[in-house]
Amino acid sequence: MTTHLEDEQLAQWVLDDQTPDTAAATHLQLCARCRESYAELQEIARLSKRLPRLEQPPSELWGQINAELGLETGPVPGTDLREDGQQEPTALRPASPERTNPSPAGHPEVRRFRWRALAVAATVAAVLGAGAGVAGTLLATRDDTKAPVAETMIRLTPVAGQSGDGNADLIQENSGDRLKVEASGLGAGQGFYEVWMINEDGKRMVSLGVLNPQTGGTFTIPQDLTQQGYRIVDISLEPNDGNPEHSRASIIRGTLPG
Amino acid sequence: MTFRSNGRHSPTEFARVPAVSTSAAGSPSPSDIAKAFAEGREESLADAYRQWSALVFTLAFKALGNRTDAEDITQQVFVSAWRSRATFDPATGQFGAWLTGITRHRIADRMSARSRDHRNTEAAAALVNSEAAADQVDQDTVDRVLLADELAKIDDPRRTILWLAFYEDQAYPQIADQLALPLGTVKSHVRRGLLQLRDRLKEVKGDDAS
Ligand SMILES: [Zn+2]
Repeated sequence: MTTHLEDEQLAQWVLDDQTPDTAAATHLQLCARCRESYAELQEIARLSKRLPRLEQPPSELWGQINAELGLETGPVPGTDLREDGQQEPTALRPASPERTNPSPAGHPEVRRFRWRALAVAATVAAVLGAGAGVAGTLLATRDDTKAPVAETMIRLTPVAGQSGDGNADLIQENSGDRLKVEASGLGAGQGFYEVWMINEDGKRMVSLGVLNPQTGGTFTIPQDLTQQGYRIVDISLEPNDGNPEHSRASIIRGTLPG
Repeated sequence: MTFRSNGRHSPTEFARVPAVSTSAAGSPSPSDIAKAFAEGREESLADAYRQWSALVFTLAFKALGNRTDAEDITQQVFVSAWRSRATFDPATGQFGAWLTGITRHRIADRMSARSRDHRNTEAAAALVNSEAAADQVDQDTVDRVLLADELAKIDDPRRTILWLAFYEDQAYPQIADQLALPLGTVKSHVRRGLLQLRDRLKEVKGDDAS
C-alpha cells in the first residue's frame, strides 16, 4: 500500500527551494498524484513571486451599474467596507515616501458582534468612557509639493484589568489614511497583538493587521473608515488558534475624535 | 459560526459576548451569493459587487492598461452577469469562475475593438471568435490577479505573513522578527498559506477560466 507524500511537506520543499529526499523523489517518479500536487504548488509559488496590487473601481461605478440595469441604487457596497478596503494588511514599517502610496484595495474583514440590546448600550458607554484619552488635531505641511496632512494623535489606555499604553496617530492625506501605532508595556502574552478599528455601534470591527509591540507599526486604513464611525482604536492579544475573530482580549484602546 | 469558548476572555466590556463569524453575520458566503444571484434577488448584486469588483477591475486594468477601459469593462461585466443570471447554474459552477470568464471575454472584445480601430483587420478577424479571443488574455496575469484577490481575503495573521513573504520578499526570520512571532509559526503559516492559495485558485478557476 502506498503512502502519499504530505501536502505540507511538498509545500515546504517548494518554499525552501529544496529537492525532496531520495525516498520522496522515488515516490514522485512513480506517483502521478503526488507529482501533480508538487507541480501545482511550484506553480503557485512561481506566480506568487509577482503578485499584482489589487485595484479598486471608483465608487461611482456602482451607481452607474444600477442605473444601466434600471435598479434602485442601494448603499454603495463599499459602505460595508469589504469593497473600499485597502489590501495591504499592515504597513509594519515607518512611513517612507515610496511606501505611502495608497495600496490598492482588498478585502479587510469586517467583524461583527452579536449583541443583545442591553449589551450594546452598556458597551458603547464603556467604550466611550475607556477611550477618553488626550486628543489633538493639527495641520502640518510635509513639504511644499504635497497637500496638507492632518494628524490626530490619541492616547491608548489600558482597559480594565490590563496594563500598557500607547499612541495612535491618524495621518490623513489625499492618498489615504494611515494609522501609526506605538505601544509599550503590553507584556509578553501567548500569541500576537492585533490592531482593530471598532465602530461606535460596537457591532462592527475591522482588523488592520498584526502589531509588533517592540517596533510599533503603520497601518493603511480602508477608505472612509473613520467617517463611517470606526473610531475606536483597539489593540488585542490574539492567541495562535487560527480564529480570525477578535479574541475579546483587548489590552489598550482609545477613540479618535469625530 | 465560531465562538471562542476557552475562557480566554478578559474582563473587558466584550466579555461573554459571542463573536459571529463574518460569513454568518457579515457578508454572505460566495455560494450563498451565487444562489441568490441566480434566483434574481437584487441584494445579491451588491454582495457580488462587494466580493468580486476588485478582482474584475484589476483583471481588466492589468490586461488593458487603462483605467477608463477597466471601469467600462467592470460595468459591462456586472451588467451582463445580472442580465444573464439565468444562465448561471449554482449547482454546477463556481460563481467566481463564471464572472472571471465573462470578464475575460469582455476584455478580449475590447482588445479586438482596439485592433479594429487600428485598422489591423487581420488581427481583428483573428479575434472575432470570442472563445479564441479569451485566450488572448494572458493566463499568468489572470492567475496572479486571482491569487492576489484570494490572498487579500485570508485572515490575519496569515494575510500579513503572506503579504510580507510574497509582496515584500522577506525571509522567514525577518518576518518572525517584524511580527514578534516564533519562526516555526511563520513557516507554518506560509506553508499552509501556499496550500490554501492553491486550493482557492483551483476552486475559483473552475472549468471556465482555463
Ligand atoms: Zn503519491
